[in-house]
Amino acid sequence: MPAWRGFFVFALLFVLALSVLLIEGCVAGAEEAALAIERAEGVVVSGYQIVLEAEQARANISRLLARLNEAGELLALARVSYRVGDFDGAVLFAELCGEIVDGVKVDALGLRNLAVEEAGHRFWWAIIGSIVGVSIIVFLSFLSWFIFKGRYYRRVLEMRPEVVSGGS
Amino acid sequence: MDLEDYRTAFMVVSLALILIVVFPAVSLVVPFPSGVERFSELWVLGPNHMAEDYPFNVTVNEEYHVFVGVGNHMGYSARYMVCVKFRNRTQPLPNMLNSKSSPLSPLYEFQAFVADGATWEAPVTFAFLEVSRFDNSCLIRRMSINDVVFWVDSPSSWDSENNGFYYQLFFELWLYNVTSQSFQFHNRFVGIWLNVTAS
Repeated sequence: MPAWRGFFVFALLFVLALSVLLIEGCVAGAEEAALAIERAEGVVVSGYQIVLEAEQARANISRLLARLNEAGELLALARVSYRVGDFDGAVLFAELCGEIVDGVKVDALGLRNLAVEEAGHRFWWAIIGSIVGVSIIVFLSFLSWFIFKGRYYRRVLEMRPEVVSGGS
Repeated sequence: MDLEDYRTAFMVVSLALILIVVFPAVSLVVPFPSGVERFSELWVLGPNHMAEDYPFNVTVNEEYHVFVGVGNHMGYSARYMVCVKFRNRTQPLPNMLNSKSSPLSPLYEFQAFVADGATWEAPVTFAFLEVSRFDNSCLIRRMSINDVVFWVDSPSSWDSENNGFYYQLFFELWLYNVTSQSFQFHNRFVGIWLNVTAS
């Protein structure tokens, strides 16, 4: 009996230890997956913001959006995997997502800087064009006004008074 | 017309010309309201990419196909999330009056970045893997969406008016807000009714 009891206690302890290890492993896996998803979300957000800045600077972002879409798809898969308890899958998808967005960020920064530079050039050309245009309009307006005024006076001076008969 | 009238006319024409010439430079600094309504579209299409032949009478271990799509008219490249949720007739839908999403947890989700004026579409394949039927009740235990298996444990009682066990697969549209750095329910959802016919 004591031998059987000893075996029983050992088996119980073994099962308990195994359960604790499994639960700890599972919790650690969940935490790792949650962190990986959080990191990927942060990277996607920063990438998206740079792409939006590039868009506001009128850069062509269609290729960047296509790659962001791939990253978004992976991030969604990571979140779904996490929800169903596939933590390894969640980490994998989140890391793949992060890798794609890192590339997007580099390209988006380049595009944004180029677009901002071009926007600056456009702005100065528009300012110069406006100044030149306004100067020409003011000059031509004055010129045409003086010509018109001269003709107007000449026409008035050439007028002859008419005598109207039959007045009371 | 006397000379004063002519002078006024000259000044008005000159000012109009100046405004036309200055407009391109001013428009680079001052954003003018476009007057265009900003909105997003959300749709579900049947398996043939048409608004017809939607799955309705469904059975166990059979795959069904639909397409979910989003159209962006927000004036910028928007980030969307489409949450796929599943409910029986007693569970809540989104509240459009309060702009509140359904409190049900999403099963599957999609994320998409859509350029202004562009659309995005994705296939959705779903199947019911484990369904229990009793006299006048039905319990869906497991279902799959795009090959991911979910435990749903959703009961439904017999609808004697419409003769069936009714469930709804619905899609909520969420829009990413750059200012608050979070997704917000975009007050749009679409869904399809499903009648579980046999287990």
